Amino acid sequence: MSTEALTLNNVTVDLRQQRILDGIHLDVSPGSFTCLLGPSGCGKTTLLRTIAGFTPLSQGDIRLGARSIAHLPPEKRHTAMVFQSYALWPHMSVGDNLGYPLKLRGVPRAERKQRVAAMLERLELGGFESRAVTQLSGGQRQRIALGRALIIDPPLLLLDEPLSNLDAAIRRSLRSELRRLQKSLGITTIMVTHDQEEALQMADQIVLMRAGKAVQIAAPQTLYQQPADLGVARFLGVDNTVTRNKQDPAVASGAATFGFRTRDARINEPLCSATLTRKGRVTECVYTGDGYQISLDTNEAELFATATSPITLGTFAVLQVPESALIPFGPDDRHLPPLDRHEDIA
Amino acid sequence: MSTSSSQAHSLAVPSRRLPRISLGMLLVLPALTAIILLYALPLARSLVTAFRDSSGVWTTDHVVRAFSLYGRDMLFSVGVASASLALIATISIAISGYLVLGTTPWAVRLLRWLYRWPLFIPFVVTGQIARSFLATNGMMNNVLVETGLMASNSAQSFLDWRGLVLTFAWKQIPFVTLLLAGAMAAIDRSHIEAARNVGANRLRCLFEIILPLAAPSLWVGLILSLVAMLSALSVPMMLIAGNPTMMTSMMAHRITYYGDYGIANALGLFSYALTAVTAWIYLRLTLRREATA
Repeated sequence: MSTEALTLNNVTVDLRQQRILDGIHLDVSPGSFTCLLGPSGCGKTTLLRTIAGFTPLSQGDIRLGARSIAHLPPEKRHTAMVFQSYALWPHMSVGDNLGYPLKLRGVPRAERKQRVAAMLERLELGGFESRAVTQLSGGQRQRIALGRALIIDPPLLLLDEPLSNLDAAIRRSLRSELRRLQKSLGITTIMVTHDQEEALQMADQIVLMRAGKAVQIAAPQTLYQQPADLGVARFLGVDNTVTRNKQDPAVASGAATFGFRTRDARINEPLCSATLTRKGRVTECVYTGDGYQISLDTNEAELFATATSPITLGTFAVLQVPESALIPFGPDDRHLPPLDRHEDIA
Repeated sequence: MSTSSSQAHSLAVPSRRLPRISLGMLLVLPALTAIILLYALPLARSLVTAFRDSSGVWTTDHVVRAFSLYGRDMLFSVGVASASLALIATISIAISGYLVLGTTPWAVRLLRWLYRWPLFIPFVVTGQIARSFLATNGMMNNVLVETGLMASNSAQSFLDWRGLVLTFAWKQIPFVTLLLAGAMAAIDRSHIEAARNVGANRLRCLFEIILPLAAPSLWVGLILSLVAMLSALSVPMMLIAGNPTMMTSMMAHRITYYGDYGIANALGLFSYALTAVTAWIYLRLTLRREATA
């Protein structure tokens, strides 16, 4: 089965008189990798489950290629889902787990065996057929779950936080492994994650969700540099916001607030032109490996910055942010288009 | 020096342990005494009586007579129990399966509320209900005749092995369903969804994913039902007039009319053997499962 485009049109889900998903529109091009990103409870997993057919739609339509799948039961949608808990069947061996989707499709036993063996080779778990799934490590289970989803050549791969149960090192290596595999198969993929770093690294397109709505749908760079509003910005690591002063650089017309990331703010460096500066008392100095994170108490707010050397608590320091790192927001907290001269941001 | 101290040490250990063992024994003693006096002794006594004649001499006479007199009843009991178990298993799988996989919320709620009722009805009342329902002029035939589904002259009594099977099943299905539906509900939902997702329809999902995972509870339910059916006296007494009938009836008959504990106990021996075999099969199944897990 070839890979296909996915189109969500006004997808709305109500559960017990509560609106869980609210009019979501989304176009996923064939072979692309889309991440659903957002804090817990934002509806990202519900959206994935709605696509897979486990949560009924209240309104709207879901199309896979040319056909509408909105009213099909899960088994007829041909989407392949990898569950957060992996959901490997404990009463079946590794081989039986991988072979079950083929068995359901009436693939003869000999061919089934061959395809399971080939999939295990691909997952670098050759010869694992007769092992019990309960004997596998977390990373191995994850790969078997992925193999079980991919063995039927699905048109759409759905991943529900597939890496969240693994430790950091395995997660990093599986992240690139997963992305390589996805690219080599060219399979349309949708992944749910709450980890912004994961989403930025892996996705072609990120859907940022909040309270059942798709707040911003954009490529990783755009989302990172031009978050739609302050809420999105905070979720993507913009820890500092300051009200605009007269002497601050004019990044965008009508900017009321600037946001910036801690790593872009420097402490006690020679003053340059076209920077935002704030003065405050140092309240905390924490070693972070790359340098020191400084908390600065200004009149307006508590701000964070980085320094290369430790700074004595209680002293006054000057925080400086280059113009290019400032993200402008209007009075309504929405992102403002930057002035033309900042083409690097656009 | 070091050897003597280690000897002293090794000598000290038992004297330190001894009071602990007796204290442990003391704690267990009341329960142990109750089990020995109320369960183990009567069981052993009834087993012994099955192999002794009135003068206390060891004999296999009772067992041989029990088989020659009541062989047909034993086969009848096994047949009725097996048929009931098959019916119980089929229907409780169907009910629990619908409770887990049903997509019509009100139907699931209604079924969940309805199926438990027979649990609260004792065997003797069940027998009475079955009698008035299954007899020639019982409610079942009346309804069938009234609705025109059956001619009145073809009405027949179900008060035979069929009545027993239906009554036992009616009484035991809720119990087995309770256990099975609980086990099915405890299965991680994602196991079921993963199967649906790779293309299993609800029926295949039930038989290939859910049932294998919940099977231990089904076995427990069926074995306990077997024990309940083999020990129910009221239902066969009320439903079946002649021979052959369930062993419990025959045991009661032997004791009340002849005071013959020997043969009654020999019949009991057969009941023990039957339940022991099923318990053994169950243990083997669970052990094998644990060994592979």
